[in-house]
Amino acid sequence: MRYGMVIDLKKCIGCTGCALVCKTENATPPGILWLRVVKQESGKYPQVRRVSVPLQCMHCAEPPCLEVCPTGATFQHPNGIVDIDAEQCVGCRYCMMACPYDQRFFLSAERTYFPGHTTPFEQAGYQRHQAGVVSKCNFCTPRLNRGLEPACVANCMSRARTFGDLDEPNSEVSKLIRDRGGYQLYPELGTNPSIYYLPP
Amino acid sequence: MAAVTNPFTAGTWVMEPKPQNIWGVPHTSWFFAMGVGGALFINRALFGVELGRIMGMAVADLLSMILIGIGGLILIGDLGKPLRVLRALLNPRTSWISVGAIADFVFLILDGLWVIADLEWQGARPFAGLPWAGNSPLGIAFQVIAGAAAFIVIVYPGLVLAASPSIPFWNTTLIPLQFLSFAFASAVGLALIFALWLPVPPALLTTWAGAEILLLAATLLLFVAHLIQGSASHATAKVSVARLLKGELQVPFVWGTLIAGLLLPLLLGLYGAFAASPAPGWLAISALLTLPGNWLSKYTVIKAGSYAPFL
Ligand code: SF4
Ligand code: SF4
Repeated sequence: MRYGMVIDLKKCIGCTGCALVCKTENATPPGILWLRVVKQESGKYPQVRRVSVPLQCMHCAEPPCLEVCPTGATFQHPNGIVDIDAEQCVGCRYCMMACPYDQRFFLSAERTYFPGHTTPFEQAGYQRHQAGVVSKCNFCTPRLNRGLEPACVANCMSRARTFGDLDEPNSEVSKLIRDRGGYQLYPELGTNPSIYYLPP
Repeated sequence: MAAVTNPFTAGTWVMEPKPQNIWGVPHTSWFFAMGVGGALFINRALFGVELGRIMGMAVADLLSMILIGIGGLILIGDLGKPLRVLRALLNPRTSWISVGAIADFVFLILDGLWVIADLEWQGARPFAGLPWAGNSPLGIAFQVIAGAAAFIVIVYPGLVLAASPSIPFWNTTLIPLQFLSFAFASAVGLALIFALWLPVPPALLTTWAGAEILLLAATLLLFVAHLIQGSASHATAKVSVARLLKGELQVPFVWGTLIAGLLLPLLLGLYGAFAASPAPGWLAISALLTLPGNWLSKYTVIKAGSYAPFL
C-alpha cells in the first residue's frame, strides 16, 4: 500500500481552490502554505503556454527530509505518507534544507490573520500548530482515518486530482499514470515522489 | 513506477535556483567554533601542540572545551524548541546532526573530566588520584574517545551540508575536507599566536609554521577544486559559483577567504618561516588572518547554497 496522487494539468484551471481548502481544512497560520499553485510558462511568443501546477509535499518514497531528521520527528506511515510528530520536532529546520521541493514550513512564532485578534476558527485550528516546529501536508491523514479523501481532492471543482494506491496496478491512479504518461518532479534525485502529474 | 521526465518543460527551468536563507551567521559561528575547538584538542593530544597553562589548566584543552561549548550553545539557541535538545541525539543512524550532537556531548564530558584530573594547583595535582588521571589506561581511553569525538565535531557540519541533495553546490565531500583542513590550519595558527608569549624553541616553531603552510595550501586547493567541480557539475552549483566569484558574495569570498584568509597568510607564513630565521611576529600575523578567513569561508559557502529548481 502506497498512497499517491495524480494531478491532471490538462484539467487544472489554476483556481487555487485546493490551496484555499487546504488552509481551511488544516487551519494553517499566515505564511504557512502546505499547498500552493504556481504558474508555469514555456515556449516563445507566439507559441507560449501557461499551465497551473499545484505543489505540495510529494510524500517521497525515499524522503531526504526523513533521513536527516535528528529526532525521528519526521516519519513514514506504512501507507507511504510522510508525516511529522510535532511533539518530537526540535525545530532544527534541517529537513527544510534537505527537501528538494521546498515543501516544509517553519512557524517561528504564533501568528494570526488579524493583528491583535484571533477568530474563533483560528482559536480552534491553531491548537494543531505549535510555534517553533516544522509542518507540512500530510495528505489529510485525519480525513483518511475517517474514510474521506484529502480535502484538496474532494474539493477540486474540475476533478483534476485523483487519490489512491500506487502499489495497486488496477487503481485509478496507476491506470492514469500508465495511460497518460504521468511524470514526477525532479525524478533524477531518486526521491521517488508519490505525486504524479499528467501532461497538459 | 518508472520515472518519466517532465515533457512540458523538456529540461528547461521554469523556476530560478533559489538561494537558501535558513542558515546564516549563527550556523557559521557554530561550525567555526566547533572546528577550531576540535582541532585544538587533537593537536594537543596527538601532536603535542601545547598552548601553555592558565589557572592550572592546559589552555588547549580548556579552549577547545569553551569553543565546542559555545558552538553547542549556538546550535541549541537556534532550535525552535531548545528545551527539547536531547531529542536531537535520537537518530544517529541516518542524521549527521544527531551524530554531531552526540559527539559534542561525549567530547565535553570526557574533556571536562580530563581537565579536572590534569588540574595543577600550587605546584601539586590535587586530582591525580582519579582513575583517569595521567597515563592510566582509563585516561588514555578517555583521550582517544575524546579525540575521536573531536574529529567528528570538526567534520560533521561539513557532512551535514554535503548530505543535502537539494543544494547541489553543497553536495560534495570537498566541503567536510575543507572544514577539516581549515580547522587544523586555524588551530595551528592559534599555536603560532600563543608562541609570541610561550618559550617555543625555534626548531619547533619552524615545524608548526611548516604544518600551517601545508594546511593553508591544502585548504586553498580544496576551495579551487570545489569551485571547479561546482562549475562543471550541476547547473545550480554553477549559479552558486557565480555568486561567490562575481555576485554579492564576491568580496567576502574572493577577498576575505581566498586572498586575505588563505593566500596572504600562506605567503606571510612562507616568509616568516623560511626568511632568515623564524619570525614569530610574521607567523602570528599570518595565523591571525586565517581566523576571519575560516569564518568567512563557511559563511560564504553556506550563503552560496541554492536549491535546484524542480519545475
Ligand atoms: S516533498 Fe519534501 S517534505 Fe515531502 S516527503 Fe519529499 S522531501 Fe519530504
Ligand atoms: S525541524 Fe523537526 S522534523 Fe525537521 S529535521 Fe528538525 S526535528 Fe526533524
